[in-house]
Amino acid sequence: MNYHFGRGYGKLVPYLFLFPGIFIYMLIALGPSLATSVFSFTDATGIKGAPVHWIGLENYREFLMMGQASLDNYAALGRTLLFCLFVTTVQFGLGLLIAIILNQKVVKGSNFFRTLFFMPVILGAVIQGLIWSLFLYPMGGPVARIMAFLGAHSEFLGGKPSEAFAWVIVIQIWANMGTTMVIFIAGLQTVPSELYEAACIDGASSWQVFQNVTWPLLTPSVNTNLLLNIIGSLQAWQLFLVLLGYRNGTQVLGYLIYATGFGQTSGSVTSSFRQGYAAAASMILFLLVLVLGMTTQAILQRRERRILG
Amino acid sequence: MNKPSNMQKTVGSQAISVKQMDSGRRFQWGLIASYAILVLFTIIYAGPLLMLLNTSLKTMPEFMKNAVAVTQSFRFQNFADAWSKANFPRYMSNTLLYTFFATVVYILTAVFVAFPIARQYVRWSGAILTMFVVALFLPPALVPQFQLMLRLGLYNNPVGYIMLFLSNPIGIVILVNYIKTVPKEMDEVAALDGCGYFRFVLSIITPLIQPAIATVAVLHAIGIWNELILPTIYLTNQKFYPITRGMIVFQGVYGSNWPTLAAAVLIMTLPMLALFLLLQRYIISGLTQGAVKG
Repeated sequence: MNYHFGRGYGKLVPYLFLFPGIFIYMLIALGPSLATSVFSFTDATGIKGAPVHWIGLENYREFLMMGQASLDNYAALGRTLLFCLFVTTVQFGLGLLIAIILNQKVVKGSNFFRTLFFMPVILGAVIQGLIWSLFLYPMGGPVARIMAFLGAHSEFLGGKPSEAFAWVIVIQIWANMGTTMVIFIAGLQTVPSELYEAACIDGASSWQVFQNVTWPLLTPSVNTNLLLNIIGSLQAWQLFLVLLGYRNGTQVLGYLIYATGFGQTSGSVTSSFRQGYAAAASMILFLLVLVLGMTTQAILQRRERRILG
Repeated sequence: MNKPSNMQKTVGSQAISVKQMDSGRRFQWGLIASYAILVLFTIIYAGPLLMLLNTSLKTMPEFMKNAVAVTQSFRFQNFADAWSKANFPRYMSNTLLYTFFATVVYILTAVFVAFPIARQYVRWSGAILTMFVVALFLPPALVPQFQLMLRLGLYNNPVGYIMLFLSNPIGIVILVNYIKTVPKEMDEVAALDGCGYFRFVLSIITPLIQPAIATVAVLHAIGIWNELILPTIYLTNQKFYPITRGMIVFQGVYGSNWPTLAAAVLIMTLPMLALFLLLQRYIISGLTQGAVKG
């Protein structure tokens, strides 16, 4: 039964207090989000009062089919997928490994380790980036020395674009592995310990226990982590901004959108404010996220039905 | 339990079942490998922080001579230098102001959105909740949001900047789920006693859902504190910069003076680190909940 405070007009009171939250949300989040597709068909700029024209699919045509610039866009698209692939697989694998290790009762100090590995998540891209710029100090920094000891050499963030790009992947994983780990730990804690005891009594090996007990029962956390990692890494580019700036050969799609729509690297240089074009690029990134996200979701759901139902 | 005769040979309180001993021996290597991996990751995770701390206490010549040697000079002056040169008092107070106001206003509006939805006191409660969740899957709002703020005259304006942080769909989901666990009878008793809606939500519901509010507030505040993209887009006047943006400027000027820069980074890190160690429980529960529901 619906119970309301007050009678008559008093029933409207909840609506009255609900309104500000919904209004703000529609104004600054939902509305703009939906309007992105509209802006992608215009030549809007970042200049106040400048006229905005409807130009149809011109932005998309320019993004996808216009000589060298389009090739750069495809390169950024490819890099975004590469970044997503490496970050997702490594972060997923390491997060799972560490979660399983910390979930063992025999391992001491698991709270300490969990806190330490999760900590970078809350520090944010600026601190994460600056800490690693120092850690990767090329002239006798710790990583440089270890690599020299192993007979390897790297120019780190100042090196070849592909090399710098690889280091950003490493730092991205370092920064976000904690989230994957805590979601897996939460999932592992829901596995009933009787199952482990039963498997142990039956003489199952650790690998058999993992394969037949842990992994199937972890399905919900596996799904959550995979989707979060894929969607998150496709859209992540803050570390590129802090670590590399807008450097040729390292751009990913998210950074490209920002750079074309809001000017290059720092606020002082406002070379391009092509917001219609940036909106079109946003839509392309959105479609990429949508297609990859939905495909993954469909595969995961089929797998879940096979395992659990 | 397959060798009961052996089991009886164990003595007193030290009794260990044979099965456990067996598996103990079998898992020994696993345990060693586990600790080896943990040690390796501890180095990877603590190393950068120790390097930061060590560098922040060095003099510049000391750092140039050997970047990894432990500091001899313990130069605390670096922190004073960073504090004044990086314009910390201004940037830090800006960040505190933005974080505080945006979080308080957001939480207030969010509770009044989440409560009637959780109780279905408004029509289309389910649809309203869906409307919040759907934003997580829509295209980024960056460009139209900028156009809107530009036309409202809120570009390069602290009030406009705070406005950008007044929505957070995951927070609504977490609050709705938590409010559902508060018994509905409370509402009826309160209403019969003549308690008004506004007072009921603020003075009865809000204290009851404190853990959820803490979780949402902390997650929201961390997001604002760490935000770099939005200040880069919306704030061009240096006196409005939050600490993140200010730090990038400072890096541009003092990028090669690592001892001072490290001290600045450390000053910026410490409040977040303290907050995290105090409220870790809320942060992690919020993340796992948000992840599962989102």
